Amino acid sequence: MKKLLLVVILLMMTGCAMFSPTPVKRNFPAVPSELMESCPDLKKTEPTEKLSEVLKVVVDNYGQYHECKIKVDTWVEWYNMQKNIFESVK
Amino acid sequence: MWMLSFVPDALLYTVVIGILFTGIALYIISFVTRFIPPLIPYSGIARILGTILTVVGIYFFGSYSTEIEWRARVAELEEQVKVSEAKSKEINIQIQKVYVDRVKVVKQTQIVIQEKIKEVEIKIDSECSKVAPEAVDILNEAAAGVKK
Repeated sequence: MKKLLLVVILLMMTGCAMFSPTPVKRNFPAVPSELMESCPDLKKTEPTEKLSEVLKVVVDNYGQYHECKIKVDTWVEWYNMQKNIFESVK
Repeated sequence: MWMLSFVPDALLYTVVIGILFTGIALYIISFVTRFIPPLIPYSGIARILGTILTVVGIYFFGSYSTEIEWRARVAELEEQVKVSEAKSKEINIQIQKVYVDRVKVVKQTQIVIQEKIKEVEIKIDSECSKVAPEAVDILNEAAAGVKK
């Protein structure tokens, strides 16, 4: 009877491992397409003697930097937010 | 075994309980039949069959409990994933809007500054007579950065 009991307990324990869990498929969300575009190269000044022409190019380049900074900042923001959401599923 | 996940809970439960109780019933019957002379020859068979069915039933009952637990966990996870996916989409839309708005502000500022330059263009050029070509070259070199 004791042997039978042992066999029963053993069988019950292997029975628990009989089924493999069904995996729940998850994908990390895709980043908005706007953020996937790389930052353009800085503009170069055409040969000129006018300071105003040089200034225009410099101002344009500052603008490009600011746009690029926004892109990187938004990327970081997006990643942190999505990471929090992704990790909230446990 | 993964195919069992397609079998409905109720059917699986009925089969498992059916096997288990049939086994127990046969085991009890095997003891009763020992006292009924015409059934004595079947007593041994009933006991063996009853034992086997009881053991198999217990085995399946253990498996069934685990299976149900996993199904509940999977359902819970799927629900959480659904909610998180909806949140992700919402965040993407928000981020896209924020990005577009921020870039718009930068572009508008650029237009304002370029207009300001145009307003004082003549003054700037007259007060600074000539920009040395070397200055432009240095500026372009700096703009080019490190090229691979």
